[in-house]
Order: sequence, then C-alpha cells, then structure tokens
Amino acid sequence: MTTTDTSHIRNFSIVAHIDHGKSTISDRILELTHTVEERDMRSQLLDTMDIEQERGITIKSNAVRVMYDADDGETYQFNLIDTPGHVDFTYEVSRSLAACEGAVLVVDATQGVEAQTVSNANLAMNANLEIVPAINKIDLPSAHPDEVREEIEEELAIPAEDAVCVSGKTGEGIHDLLESIVFLVPPPEGDARAPLKALILDSYFDEYRGVVAMVRVFDGSIKKGDRLHMMQGDEDFLVDAVAVKRPAEVPVRELAVGEVGVVVTGLKDPAAVRVGDTLTYADRPCAEALPGYREAKPMVYTGIFPIDNKEYENLRDALEKLRVNDPSLVWDPETSVALGFGFRVGFLGLLHMEVVKERLEREFGLDLIATSPSVDYHVYLTDGDMVDIRSPQDLPDPSSIDHIEEPYLKAKVIVPPEFTGAVMQLAVEHRGEMADMVYLSDKSVEMHFEIPLAELILDFFDQLKSRTKGYASLDYEFDEYRPSDLVKLDILLSGDDVDALSFIVHKDKAYPLARGLCDKLKEMIPRQQFEVPIQGAIGSKIIARSTVKAVRKDVLAKCYGGDITRKRKLLEKQKEGKKRMKSIGRVEVPQEAFLAVLKVDE
Amino acid sequence: MAEKDFRALYLHVPFCASKCAYCDFESAPCDRRDPLLSEYAVSVAGMVERVRSAGLLGALETAYIGGGTPTLLADGDLVRLVKISGPVGELSFEANPESLTAEKLVAAREAGATRVSIGVQSLNDRELRALGRVHTAETAIEALRLAAVSGLDVSCDLMGAIPLQTPESLRSSVRGVLGCGVGHVSVYPLQVEEGTPFGRAVDEGRMELPSTDREADAMEEAEALLRAAGFQRYEVASYALPGRDCRHNGHYWDGSAYLGLGTGAASMAHRALYERFRELAPGLPAMPDGNERARFSCTSTAPAVASAHGALEPLAWDVEFLTAGEAAAEDLMLAARTSKGIPGEQVARAGRLLGRERVLGALRGLERDGLLARVDDAWRPTERGWLLGNVVFGRLWSLASE
Repeated sequence: MTTTDTSHIRNFSIVAHIDHGKSTISDRILELTHTVEERDMRSQLLDTMDIEQERGITIKSNAVRVMYDADDGETYQFNLIDTPGHVDFTYEVSRSLAACEGAVLVVDATQGVEAQTVSNANLAMNANLEIVPAINKIDLPSAHPDEVREEIEEELAIPAEDAVCVSGKTGEGIHDLLESIVFLVPPPEGDARAPLKALILDSYFDEYRGVVAMVRVFDGSIKKGDRLHMMQGDEDFLVDAVAVKRPAEVPVRELAVGEVGVVVTGLKDPAAVRVGDTLTYADRPCAEALPGYREAKPMVYTGIFPIDNKEYENLRDALEKLRVNDPSLVWDPETSVALGFGFRVGFLGLLHMEVVKERLEREFGLDLIATSPSVDYHVYLTDGDMVDIRSPQDLPDPSSIDHIEEPYLKAKVIVPPEFTGAVMQLAVEHRGEMADMVYLSDKSVEMHFEIPLAELILDFFDQLKSRTKGYASLDYEFDEYRPSDLVKLDILLSGDDVDALSFIVHKDKAYPLARGLCDKLKEMIPRQQFEVPIQGAIGSKIIARSTVKAVRKDVLAKCYGGDITRKRKLLEKQKEGKKRMKSIGRVEVPQEAFLAVLKVDE
Repeated sequence: MAEKDFRALYLHVPFCASKCAYCDFESAPCDRRDPLLSEYAVSVAGMVERVRSAGLLGALETAYIGGGTPTLLADGDLVRLVKISGPVGELSFEANPESLTAEKLVAAREAGATRVSIGVQSLNDRELRALGRVHTAETAIEALRLAAVSGLDVSCDLMGAIPLQTPESLRSSVRGVLGCGVGHVSVYPLQVEEGTPFGRAVDEGRMELPSTDREADAMEEAEALLRAAGFQRYEVASYALPGRDCRHNGHYWDGSAYLGLGTGAASMAHRALYERFRELAPGLPAMPDGNERARFSCTSTAPAVASAHGALEPLAWDVEFLTAGEAAAEDLMLAARTSKGIPGEQVARAGRLLGRERVLGALRGLERDGLLARVDDAWRPTERGWLLGNVVFGRLWSLASE
C-alpha cells in the first residue's frame, strides 16, 4: 500500500444509540469503497465476535482502513473506527474517540435522538471531534427525517441542516456521507520527524504472535524492527510487524504519522500491554505521555465459578486474556462451599457482565455459573472504621456494624408521555425517588430519579423495556453513597448455610425475597433420601421456610435376565445427573437450582 | 463362581393375543392360528437340543418359559418347549388367564413343568381394561383356581399405582389372589416406558405419571397384606410362602450363568462358557482381553428365529462385556435386591477386586443412611432399602468405575 499524505487521512468513528444502524452503515462504507467485494460481504463485518454477530450489537471497537476515491479526484485514507452503542461500553467509546478527528453521529430516522445519542454526542464533542450528523433508515415508511433534524439541533445543539440522509440497508446516501467526511473531518496533525508518540487503543492476545496492539500514531512513525517503549508499563519490545486492517490484516512498511494500525509486539504476557498507554522510541523517547483514558470503574460485582472446578486455572487464564482488550475487567479469587473456587469479578454494568460471561464460555469453552450481582457497599463499623464489601459473604457480624451505605445513581429515563406512570411505578418498586420530569417535546418526557444501584442491576432494565413496550431509554451515572437499612439474607438447606445464596438486601425486601427463594428452591431441588428443610434467615432469625419432602420410592421393581444391562444404564444416567449437582451438607443441589434462584424474580 | 455350564435356561415366546398399554417387552400381537407360532417353538426347541448336545446344559437347575404369552401356543408346542427344557428341579411357564385351560395345565405338568406364573395384574375389571388386558377379573380367578388344583406351584403378578386403582381396590386384588391359593406373588408398581401407549399418553399430557408416593403406598400396602398372610418378601417385588421362592429368578441375582433363547431373550456367561457357546453361535463376537463376563441377547426377529430351524448360526446378537471388577460390582448390586442380601464371602471376594476399604466404605455408608443392615454376616436391605433400591444399587455399581 502506498503512503498517504497526512492531509489525505481522515480518522473517524461512527457513534449512535444502540440499534440505530451504525454497523450496517459501516458495512456499506466497506462495500462502496471496494474494501470488501460484495460477494464477500456478510452483515456486520466489523463485529467479529460471535456474540456481536448474534446479538447485533457492537461490543469491541474495531478499526478498518478504507481507501476512498473522492469526487475531487483524490484518494483519501479513511480509518473507520466502529464503537459500541450500549451504556455499559461508554469506556470503549471514549477510547476509540481519542484516535479520531471526527465522528459520524447516526440517528435513527424513525426513533430520533435517544439517550445514547446524547451521551455519545457529548463524548465526541468533549473529545473536540468534528461531528457529521447522519439520519439513517430513511427507507422505512415511518421515517420522519425533518423532525429528527430538528431534534438534533434542539437536543444536541449540533447544526443539522446539512445532515446526510442515508439508508444503511439500501446504500442510499452513503456516497454523500463519504464526501461529507472528506470535507468536514479535519486531517490529523502531527510531526513525522518528532519522537514517536502513539496511543494504544486496544489490544488482544494471539496464541502465535503474542500481544497485538491497535495504535494511533500522533507523532513519528512505527516500522518493523523498531525498539519501542511503553511509557506507563515501562517495558520495551521489538516490533515484529506492523499492519492495517482492511478488515483482514494487511502488512505495511510503516504506520506513518496520523495513521491507525496494528503493532505485533511479540510479548507473551497478556498483562504487559495496557490499553491507554503511550508508545515511544526506546532510544529517543518523547517528552511526555499522551493523556490516558478516564479509568473505568466497575459498578457491579458477581462471583463467577467454573461448573467443573478443574477449570479454575483455565478461568483465570481466560480472564487474563480478556483483560488485554478489556482493561475495565477486575477480579479477586473467591471461594464458595457450594460452588467451589472462582472469582469475584467487577463489571461496568449488567450487559458488560453478560457479555464477559458469554465470551468466557464461548471463546474459552468454559461452563460457568454466576452468583447474584452485587454492588460495592460501604460498611461502617461500630469502632468507626469503614470496610468495602462486594460480596455478601464478606459482610462482618451484624453486631459490629454501625450502618451500611450503598451507591445511589442519578438515572435518566426518556419515554413517551403515556408511559410515565409505568416508569414511576417501577422506580418506586425499586426504591427509586423521582427528582423531576421534563417534557422534551409532546412526544417525549425525560424523567430523573435517584435509585440505588443495587436495584438497577437486578431486573430494572428488562422491566423498564417491557413495561414501556421498548420505548424507554435509560442512562445513569453514579451519584453518592447513602445510608440504607440493609440486611444479609442467608439461605439454609438442612441447617447448612449456602454461601452462594446470600444476599445483601433492603430490610423491606428481605421477606418477599426469602419467600420467593425458598419456594423456588423447593421446586428445583429434587426430592432426596431425607426431608430437606429450606430456610431463609436474617442472622439467627428464620423469616421463611419450605420443605422438600423425602422421596419414598426410587427402585426399579422388575429386574430379571434382560433388565440388568438396562438397569445399569439407568443407574449410570442417574449418576451423570448427580455429577452436575453440588453437595451442600448432605443435600444434593442441581446447578439449575442455583441458576434459577439467582435469576429469581421479586 | 465361574461355573462351567449354564445353571438356568430361559425360553422366550414373543407372541400375545394383544399388546397391553404398559408393555415394552419383546412381544407382538398375533393370531394363535398363525403357523409362525409353531415353527418358532419347533426351532427354539431345536436350539435347546443343540446346546444340550454340546454339553452346555449339564448343570441346569431351573428353566422358565416366558413371554409374551406362552399359553398362546398350541398345547403341543407348549409341551414341546417344556419337555425340551427338562427335567430340572424347577420348571416354570408364564400364562395369561384367558389362554390358560385345564388341558394346558395338565399337559404341561405331565411334560415336566413344576410351576406356573399367571399374569393377573388386577382383579378389578375397570383397571384391567385401562391396562389393555384382554381378560376379566372373573377369568383370572378361574385360572388361578384351576392352577391351584393342577398340582403346580402357582405364582401371580399384580400391579400397583395403575390408572383407576385405589388403596381399597389394590387390597381387594391382593386378597383375591390370596384366596385362590397362590404360593408366590410379585407386585410391581407401574413403570411407564417410552414407546408404549402409556408412554405416549404421558408425553401428550393425557395421563399423569404415577407419583412415587403412590407407588410407595402401593408397595407398602401389598407388603403388609402379604406378610399377614404368611408370605415373605425375598426380593424387591417378590413374595412367597416359605420354600416357594422362584429359584430361577434367584439365578439372575446371584451371579449364575443363564442362557436365554428366542427373540429378545437375554443370557449371561463367564468367559469360558461364553467361548464354548460362541462355537455354536458364531454371530457372537469374541470376548476382548480384560473382560470376564458377557451379557448378550438375541436380536433376531420371531420369523428369523423360526426359519433358523433350530440352528444358532444364523442368529444376531446384542453383546456387552464386563471386566471382573464390573462383574463383581454388578453382583453386589443384584444381591442387594434380595432378602439374603450380600453375604460376607461375597463382600470379601468383591473387596479383592475392587478394594476392600472401598467396598466396606460403600456398605457402611448405606448402613448409615438406613438402607442396608448388617445381619449375621450379610448386608441386607432394610424396609427403607427396598423402596430406595436405586440409591443402594447406584452406589454399589459405581464401585466399578470410581
């Protein structure tokens, strides 16, 4: 590939609310620029993970170089950086934006501006990017691009009279969009002769090549054989190769100033390369590092255990490898009598948790069980000390606790006016307090309330979607820690405490939760040789109880000559079933019982 | 243990007047005048003759002609099978009430039969209809009375937890058969099997699986009545007056080698005997090294068996091989079904193959759970152990693999 003059480079991201069609627009751009021939086209080409393809969402960022022959007769190098659209992945978005000079803001012509449109537009503007608005899905009969144009101007204060109308589905308007990018997005600035300054945007681990880093070069250039230094990680390596993604990796001679591409480091330790770190020359370092990213703080914690305990080490390795391109992932070892050895893992949010769990299972072939998610509680002791508690098992003895504080969020929900009642009801059920309500237009209301994070992570989002027929969008940010009347609910089987089934809950919710859990467990635990009492307890006080009656008959009565082989097969099948059970004292509990209970609806 | 010859012989008659709603046995409904029945009986008799000539039946102690419905055969064919099986100390045949005549009883007894086992199932007509039985309670009682005066030992089968059955109707069925002078009763809780009309009814939601509580009630109820009448439970589902245990069935549980001939009939043999039998039936594969026991059953259809004309060479088989350790664990599991339990010498023998501490550990664990009790030198099932047999069998069988 020939070198492109810096003035002909355009680095941009496409940002949007989830489902507004960012990935399809990316696909069309790849097609129109012949980066990918039509016959090789499959949808969501940049979403390489199975989960992304299946769920139709983007989780990881991906950067692709396309060459565009513009109407002015010049050829431009576009570095297109696809970003996630979900609130949990704001961190990924801000990382990608740091590599760009511009952002295409995609808004759905049928839905208009939504919560993530606003927050992603804000992120882009804060990063000083040039915004190129695009109104998508204009092929749909319910498209109302003019109203959407107004919304963009009113709600985002972005001039939109020139917003390009496109259809990711039909390809209409994509050419105009590319022209707008050429004219609106500024070329990168930087000094080709200065010491190298490159930002690590992302990285991943490759079995054969070690850590591969995706970088944006701000000053200088990178060639194979260069000795580079990671300023924050304080480690050197020799560049094995440099390449760009089109979207398959194509080796290049160098990554020049302003360009985006990948650097094969050859480093075998997945933890050696940190996303957000600055690369420079080992022998000619730059004066100061680029600003890193806002550090992502985990909000939600859950215990993750391999169903087969022999997989513990593999789970640790898998987490290490995922952390390479997901630095927000944090964990500590955790042990459970019921579930064995595992990790307490911190996540940015619920979708992040689900996605990580699914990636661990799919990409690393692990079978996992996750305990009920919890938040970071501040527990104030009678001696005046404060301890951070992320797992119910770590909660100190109640007598030594003065009070407990839990994180509260400021949540913002945008809904059509007819659903405000339903949302208010839902918020109240989840201990939320309405702050105010603003009519954005006669079609949409923005509701603000304060709500404990712990409530939000249970089933709030699903409930919100179902009670508003999918219309509501949710955004939230951390507000403050507030004292709450919280207790630890334990579940006992035959008198033995099941550590995986402890919960920190608000006192008012402990009773219905305990009852729900006891009933669910009664359903899920098969009858055993002995009667199994199931109890819900706060400290030594039993607040709910159910009983699994003892099985009275379990025998195949007929066993003559021809039945013996069959009978043994049956016993072996029963035994296979037992293998998937965990023993709590002498009670055998199927994995499904934990799964079902950990998903218990309130 | 590894005796030289077969101790028990089983002949299978895979024909019935009609198929019952719960039955997954090898049998097909057919017309009793179908020439296939006779051809089949003649061929199976020929096979017995071959095996006997080869010297494999020298140690025979019991024989059993089962089905299906052996009494669907013409008198002469039934007699043929009885004659060819004997003489042995115990020779049973199965009968269905509607096809058991005085003539058949007498002819079978003359030919050497000592025992008849009648499939009664219930003495309630509504229940019988629901099961798909072709006889009535009255026919069953008549058959039982005839059998009782024929000079044969009489056994009958009853079922518990079947559709429409109440605790009262079960009691009345048990009392009814006792009143006819039987010396042996088997009581099975209904087992719904896949592929049967009951199985389909359950799948389609037209019928509920009997609850294990109902099954336990039925088993306990029957046991109490039978015990009061002087019967002893000598196996999970088998009750007999003193001295009237079925010795043939006992062979299935004590590790004896047995030979089954006819469609679907199952056999068990140790290495040497298996290899000798294989010379007659080359359709069987050689026993691989490391194995000591074979369980095999004939998969040839009834017409295929009939057209073999007494030869074993054309027969097809299903075979399973077990190591010495597996055989020992299997024997422990089977012995635990019976009131004799697992004798000390068997524990010692299994211990040598499977590890003494492991075997004793499993037995002690079952004792702690109240499922086995140590009486004299043997480990015997308790009342709880009879009903929770699968727990006992499962732990003993798993000694083979863990």
